[in-house]
Amino acid sequence: MVRVYLVLLLSIFLPAHSALAEEGDASSPASRGGPSGKPFNPDTSVNFLGLGQYGSAISNDRTQTTHNGLTLQEAEMQFTSDVDVYFRAVALFSVSQKANSTDYGIDPEEVYLETISLPNITIRAGKFKMALGKHNQLHTHAFPFIDAPLINQLLLGSEGLNESGISADALIPLPWYSEFTLQGISLANDTLYTSRSSGDFGGVAHLKNLWDLNDSLTMEFGLSGTAGNNQYGKNSSVLASDLTFKWRPTVGGKYRALIWSTEYLDGQRQGMVSTTTGESQQKLGGIASWVQYQFAQRWYGQGRYEYVGLPRSPGVSIQSKESALLGFFPSEFSGIRVQYDLIQNQARPQTDHAIALQYNVTIGAHPAHAY
Amino acid sequence: MNKLFFLILSCLFVFPNLAVAKLHVVTTLTDLAAITKEVAGDEATVESIAKGTQDPHYIEAKPSFMLKVNHADLLISIGLELEVGWLPSLVRGGRNPKIKQGELGFLEVGPLVNPLEVPTGSISRAEGDVHPDGNPHVTLDPIRAGEIAGIIADRLSALDASHEALFHGNAKKFQDRMKQKIVVWKERIAKSGVKKAISYHKTLTYFFDRFGIKNSAILEPKPGIPPTSAHVMDVIALMKQEKISLIMVENMFDPTVTNKIINDIPAARAVTVPVAVGGEEKIHSMDDLYESLVKAVEGK
Repeated sequence: MVRVYLVLLLSIFLPAHSALAEEGDASSPASRGGPSGKPFNPDTSVNFLGLGQYGSAISNDRTQTTHNGLTLQEAEMQFTSDVDVYFRAVALFSVSQKANSTDYGIDPEEVYLETISLPNITIRAGKFKMALGKHNQLHTHAFPFIDAPLINQLLLGSEGLNESGISADALIPLPWYSEFTLQGISLANDTLYTSRSSGDFGGVAHLKNLWDLNDSLTMEFGLSGTAGNNQYGKNSSVLASDLTFKWRPTVGGKYRALIWSTEYLDGQRQGMVSTTTGESQQKLGGIASWVQYQFAQRWYGQGRYEYVGLPRSPGVSIQSKESALLGFFPSEFSGIRVQYDLIQNQARPQTDHAIALQYNVTIGAHPAHAY
Repeated sequence: MNKLFFLILSCLFVFPNLAVAKLHVVTTLTDLAAITKEVAGDEATVESIAKGTQDPHYIEAKPSFMLKVNHADLLISIGLELEVGWLPSLVRGGRNPKIKQGELGFLEVGPLVNPLEVPTGSISRAEGDVHPDGNPHVTLDPIRAGEIAGIIADRLSALDASHEALFHGNAKKFQDRMKQKIVVWKERIAKSGVKKAISYHKTLTYFFDRFGIKNSAILEPKPGIPPTSAHVMDVIALMKQEKISLIMVENMFDPTVTNKIINDIPAARAVTVPVAVGGEEKIHSMDDLYESLVKAVEGK
């Protein structure tokens, strides 16, 4: 009797959507495979960034990854496909200049699989950009400015917190969009952790909330953090918070939009000291706030202010940076941006200036960027 | 004890399920929402992701839309790569296995209604935002809208067999109404004498095709590329040569580009038109939308 009841109960609640689903979309483009006729090949795209820059604080040494002059900043090759009924896979390889060399090397920037059949939750495994703050999750070609914020570079390194690990994110059943992410990561990041023990694992937790203030305006607020052992056998941690307002009117939204985003990172690196002065560099915090205004269908103007040293240990220099950017995007697949930076660094006697021109090109079937 | 246990289980699971038995349908566009409401009547709740004033190619994949998708029993889209820039992100972020491609809860209607302008041979992005599987603005043809109603009725019936007769009956009513009205609309357009028109984008292709109007030129030099001065001059020359006097600018685009044309050809008429339900406040249904377009052709 109990068995019969359970079978009945299961038949009521389990989804019964397989039979008709198979016949439903037989003529859809995806199922036909589109014009290529190769439906099971992954979506493939290549993005590359060309950069010409000159800055008074930037090296003239061509073997430095950041140097004055012309360079191919980065190329990214991305392959994306559903694996089967249960998983989707992403493989993204980055080609960029090797340190202390003029040669280029290829690295697996993100290679992971994630579930596509679980309700309300996504589980991911592989190497990927960790859910720490907002900027850390962006690929280079999607950066709002040509360079990453100073605090991200100083705390997390040039590649950001991009590690091997596992991740689970779930929608929290609230009236607004609320997503909680929990990640277990290897501690290989060479700026924040560099843990010598391969058995060491760290963690990342992220709570993302987004409210529609009206049809044209959203507010996003995120809190996140990471912690784990570092190369000194002690603990490193970062707490991050971000707040973003996005406005795009439902009437005339092709021509006008505004984004204001602010992100604060507060790092603690126990045991870290300056290699030159021996002073503690344990505390390192900083903020970046930027505005982007779209004033025509293909034109954007942007401004950014950054401050590093909030809080700081004695071995950390206070830095501030002001940037202005003008962007022209002929289509969603190409863009040209020019950026000017004014930089103050406590460790340098003079104010520094930098100007950069970047072109950004995507070919192939590139997935849309996150909102 | 066992009885009590099963009673509690039943209360927990069965009664809430009965309370939310109505299907929840999410559509990408307001036109699809309007057609679905015609078909479903009161037996489904229906909401659209895009607004009628927005360009459906460029909707932002807001996380709040993921919540809508998360709760959906059925997700209806056009397909034909109209929503390719944003819908996949919403489906992934929605984490709802019911509306994945290939499942019963996922329905693309565009490929099922004989799309126009399907490119032949190889295509390239040098041609602009070309749709490899055909023009996706299928809902602007009242006959195809009727066909879409039938497709939606089939899918709603598969999801909720108890209302199959209602869904198919409503779809038939909508199809019949469109067939009746189209006779009148055709007469009115024939009477207006308009046989050629210019549009900003290839949005009105299906409307023009159904009503025998030739879409002689597009203000965009290539799909997705804003008008250039040189191209506008070419359009002016063509309008003079072929005596074209009507420009219809879809209201998500900047209509000021037509000022130069009207200055050069004072006899020409430029009208800004809604191209989706909700594109203007007074457009509440597909009937309102077609009526508005017919009036724009008539100059009323």
